[in-house]
Amino acid sequence: MKATMRHTIRAALALLAVGTITVVLTAPALASHVVVRTAFPTSGTVGEIVPLAVDVRTPEGAPLPGTTVTYYLHMSFAGVGGEAQIGRAVTDQNGVATIGYQPRAAGLHELRMEYLPPGATAAEQVMGAFDVTGGPQLVRPSGGVDIPGINSGLLMAVLGTVWLILLSVAFRLVAIARAGGATGPASGDALR
Amino acid sequence: MATLSAWQERLEATALAPVSRTGARFWALVGVEVAVLGWGLYAYSVQLRDGLVVTGMRDRISWGLYIATFVFFIGISHAGTLISAILRVSQARWRTPVTRIAEFITVVALICGASFVIIDLGRPDRVLFVFAYGRWQSPIIWDVLAITTYLTGSIVYLFVPMIPDLALFRDRLTGRTSRWRAWLYRTLAIGWNGNVAQRRSLIAAIGMLMILIIPIAVSVHTVVSWIFAMTLRVPWNSALFGAFFVAGAIFSGIAILIIVMAILRRVYRLHEYVTAKQFIYLGYLLAAFAAIMIYANISELLIHGYKLEEGAGFHLRQLFLAEFAPLFWFYLIGGLIAPIVIVLLPATRTVAGVVVASILVTVAMWIERYVIVVSGLRVPLMPYESADYAPTWVEWSIFAGGLALFALLITLFTKVFPIIAVWEVAEDHNAAVTSPAPTYAAVLDIAADSAGGSS
Amino acid sequence: MEEKKGQDVPGLPDVGLSRRRVLLSLVAPGMDRPPAQSGEGQGGEGLPAEAATPEAPPRALGGKIGRRRLLRMVGLGALAIAPMPILPELIRSAVAQPAEPPRGRRDPARTRDGRIRQWTMIIDLRSCDGCQGVGGPPRCTTACVEGHLAPEPMEWIQVFEEELPGGGTRFVPTPCMQCQNPPCNNVCPVGATFSTPEGTVLIDQDRCIGCRICMAACPYDRRFFNWGEPPTPPQARLADYSPEHQVPARKGTVMKCDFCPDMARAGTLPYCVQGCPNQAIYYGDLEEDVATNGRVVVAASRFLAENDAFQLKDELGTEPRVYYIPGHGEAVGRDAFSRGRAPTEWPWTEVSEGSVTWQR
Repeated sequence: MKATMRHTIRAALALLAVGTITVVLTAPALASHVVVRTAFPTSGTVGEIVPLAVDVRTPEGAPLPGTTVTYYLHMSFAGVGGEAQIGRAVTDQNGVATIGYQPRAAGLHELRMEYLPPGATAAEQVMGAFDVTGGPQLVRPSGGVDIPGINSGLLMAVLGTVWLILLSVAFRLVAIARAGGATGPASGDALR
Repeated sequence: MATLSAWQERLEATALAPVSRTGARFWALVGVEVAVLGWGLYAYSVQLRDGLVVTGMRDRISWGLYIATFVFFIGISHAGTLISAILRVSQARWRTPVTRIAEFITVVALICGASFVIIDLGRPDRVLFVFAYGRWQSPIIWDVLAITTYLTGSIVYLFVPMIPDLALFRDRLTGRTSRWRAWLYRTLAIGWNGNVAQRRSLIAAIGMLMILIIPIAVSVHTVVSWIFAMTLRVPWNSALFGAFFVAGAIFSGIAILIIVMAILRRVYRLHEYVTAKQFIYLGYLLAAFAAIMIYANISELLIHGYKLEEGAGFHLRQLFLAEFAPLFWFYLIGGLIAPIVIVLLPATRTVAGVVVASILVTVAMWIERYVIVVSGLRVPLMPYESADYAPTWVEWSIFAGGLALFALLITLFTKVFPIIAVWEVAEDHNAAVTSPAPTYAAVLDIAADSAGGSS
Repeated sequence: MEEKKGQDVPGLPDVGLSRRRVLLSLVAPGMDRPPAQSGEGQGGEGLPAEAATPEAPPRALGGKIGRRRLLRMVGLGALAIAPMPILPELIRSAVAQPAEPPRGRRDPARTRDGRIRQWTMIIDLRSCDGCQGVGGPPRCTTACVEGHLAPEPMEWIQVFEEELPGGGTRFVPTPCMQCQNPPCNNVCPVGATFSTPEGTVLIDQDRCIGCRICMAACPYDRRFFNWGEPPTPPQARLADYSPEHQVPARKGTVMKCDFCPDMARAGTLPYCVQGCPNQAIYYGDLEEDVATNGRVVVAASRFLAENDAFQLKDELGTEPRVYYIPGHGEAVGRDAFSRGRAPTEWPWTEVSEGSVTWQR
C-alpha cells in the first residue's frame, strides 16, 4: 500500500514536470482530420508510474476534448506475444488524454494507442515507445505477524527449563546413590 | 508397635507376592497377549509391504483408526499424572495404594500411543527425519517434543518413588530369586538404605517432579489437540480444543486406571490396600470429569450449531442424525451421562458399579476420538460427495495388537516391579495410626468406606 | 522476449547432492544418539551392566562404589542430553529462517532485470464448459495426468462442478492454489513441503514422511497420497526425480500440482494450459504483470480487475496465487443448466510392476 502511495505521488510530480522532461514524438495520424501527438517520457523505472499522454487536436490546432484513447502494450510471455490493454483515458478540454502506467518489465515498451476521432467510422491509431530500466522486486509473499519474543527461542527456553529440572532430579538421584555408598553396603530396613 | 510391624509385614508380603509366585494362568494370559500382539505385528508387516493402501484411509479421510487410537492412548496416559501428581500435590492420602499403577499406565500408554503415530506414517523408514529436519513451526514437532519430554519425565517419575520399594525387594528377595532379578533390584535401588540424606533427596526429587509433570502433561494433550485445531477444518476450528482434549484425557485416564486397578486387585488380592474407598473416590472424579466433558461438548457443539457456518450443518447432521449417530449418541449417553448416574446413585455406587462406568467411559472416549478424527475429515471441502471410511482388518488387527501390547507391558510389569507403593502406604498408615485427626478428608473416607462396604 | 536466464538443463547433480546431504545431516547432528535415548530415558536402567561385573578392582568397598557412582553419573548425564538431538535442529531452524533451501530446486526463474518471477494462474470460468463441448474428460486434467504421469486417482487439476445460486452449475478447474500463506507448509514437520521464491508450493517426496497432516490442513482438497505403490507407466521409473515435476511418484508420500515451474522457466506453458481447448487457463508472472493462455497476452492486474476476479475461499486468508474470473462457460456456449462431465481417465494401459490402484 505504502509503495503504491509513493508511486502515486511520484506520478503526480512527474505529471507536473511532464513538459520539461518529455520528448515529444510527433507521429502523423493516419487520418488527416486530426493531429495526434504522444508525450511519453524517454525512460522509466520498473514499478514507478510514468505518465503517458496523448494530445489530440484538429488540423487547425484546436484541442479535441471527449475523445477516448485506449492504450495497448506489446507484451510477451512464454513465447506468446501480443498486445494487452493497459488503460483507457478520455481527452480533456486541452485535448490531452493521460494514464499513469506502472511499468513492470524492463526493456523497450512499445505502445499502440487507439482512438475514434469525431466523425470517423473506424478507429485510428498512433504508436509510441519508451524504455524501462530494472527495479526492485515488486511482488513478495506477505509474511506472518511477528511478535517480538514469541519465537522458537521462547519455545527452547521453556523446553530447556523443563529439561534442566529433570536434570536436577538426576542430580538428586546421584545424591541418593552417593549417600547410600557413604554408609557402606545397604542393609536393614529400607523403610526406616 | 507389634501390630504395626505385623501390618507392615503383611503389606510387604502382599507387595512381594506377585514377584515370588507365578501361576499357569499368568503364562496363559501372557500367551494370549503375545499371540494378539504377534497378529498385530503380522498385520503391520502386511501394511509395510503393501503400503497404507491396505487400510480404509484415502485422500479425503486421510486419518482414521490409528490417529484416533494415538489420541486415545495419549489420553489415558494422563491417568498417572492426575492420580500421582495432582493428588500428591493436594496431599490426598487415599491415592497412595494406586499411584504406582497409575504411573505405570502413563508410561505404557505413552509408548503405545507414540507407536501408533509411527504406524500411521506412510514412510516409517524416515521417522528420524523428524529429528534431522524438524521444523518447530509444526504441531507434529510440538507433539514430538512434548511426548518425548513427558515420556522421559514420567519414566523418571515412575522410577524415583519406586527406589525405596526396589530396595525392599532387593533386601527381601536376597537369595530367594533369580540372579538377574537380584541384579536388577540391586542396580535400580541405587544403594538406597533409607538414611536421612537419602530420604531428603528423594522427597526433594519427588517434590520437583510432581510439580513439573503437571504442566508437561497438560501441554502434551493440548498440542495433541492442536494437530487438529491448527488446520482449516470447520469441526476442528475451536479455541476450546486444547482444554477439551485435556479434560477428555484425564477423564479416560481415570477410567482406565479404575479398570486396571480392579483387575490387579482381584488377581493379586490387594483388597486390604486398594479398598472400595479408592474406587468410590476415583468414581467421584470420573463423574466430575464427565460433567466437565458435558459442558465442553455443549460449548463446542452449540457454538458450531447455532451459527451453522458452512460445513457445520453437515457436521452436526452426520454426528446426530446420520453416519456417526449411533456412536455419538452412545458416547453422549453411555459415556457421559451414564457414569454420572452410576456414581451418584447410592445403589450403584459400588466397586462393580464404578468399574462398569469406567468401561463405558473407556469405550466411549475411544469412540469420541474416532468420531473427532473421522467426522472432522469427512466434511467436504470442495463440491464433491463426502467420502466414507471403514477400518480394514489390518487396522483392526494393529489396533488389537496395540491394546495387547498395553496389556502385556502391564502384565509383565506386575511380575517384576512392586505394584504397590509400599513405603508410601506404610507412611500414610503410620501417620493415620499416630495422629488420627478427624479431618474433613477423614470424614469423607468413612463415608466412602461405608458406601463401599455395601458392595 | 522471454527471459531464459534461470533456465537449466533438468539436472542430475542437484538431486545427487541433495541425497548426499540428507545422509550427511542424518548423521551429523548427533543422530547416533536417538536409539540410546530410549534406553537411557529409563532412569539409567541400562547402564549398570558394567557396574555389576564381578571384575571390580579388589580395592576397598568405597572404590567399587565410586566406579559405580561414576557410571551412574555418566548414565544420568546421558539421560539429560537425551533431547539434544532435537535442540540443534531447533536452533538451526530458528537461526536460519527460512529453513534451508529446498532440495533439488534450481535457481528461481528471473526477469531480465533479475527480479524473481512470481507464477500465477488465472482461470476464466466463462470459457470453461468442463469439456462438454469437446466430449470426453476435461482436457486440462488429462494433459496434466499424461504430462506428469500422475498415479491413477490423482487429479492434480480437478474440474469440480459447483452449484450456482438459483440453480445450474459451473465448472471450476482446481489446481493447487499455491497459497502465499500455505496451511500445508505451516504444519509440515520436516519441511518436505515448502514455498519457493517464485511463490509456489512444492513437495520433496524424498523427504516426506507421509504423516498426512498437510492433507488435513489443505482447505482445497488438493493433496494426494500414494497409498500404495503408485500406478504409473513403467517409463516413469526411469525419470530423474525433482520436486518440480514429481516423477517418479513415491509410495507413502504426498503429491499435488506443482505449477510446472521447470516448464515455465524454460518458457513453456503448463500442461493444463496447453491442454485446454477453450484457452480458459492463463498462466503468468505477477512480477511482470503478464499472463497468457497460449493465444493472447494480458496484463494480469488489469485482466483480474476488469473481470471481477476472485479467489477460492479467500476468507480463509490463504492468499492463493490462482485467480478465477466468474462465469459458467457462457463464452463457449455452455448452458448453465447443462450438467455433468465425463470422468477423468488415466490413459496408460501398462503400469509398472507391483503397483496398485485405489479409489480417491
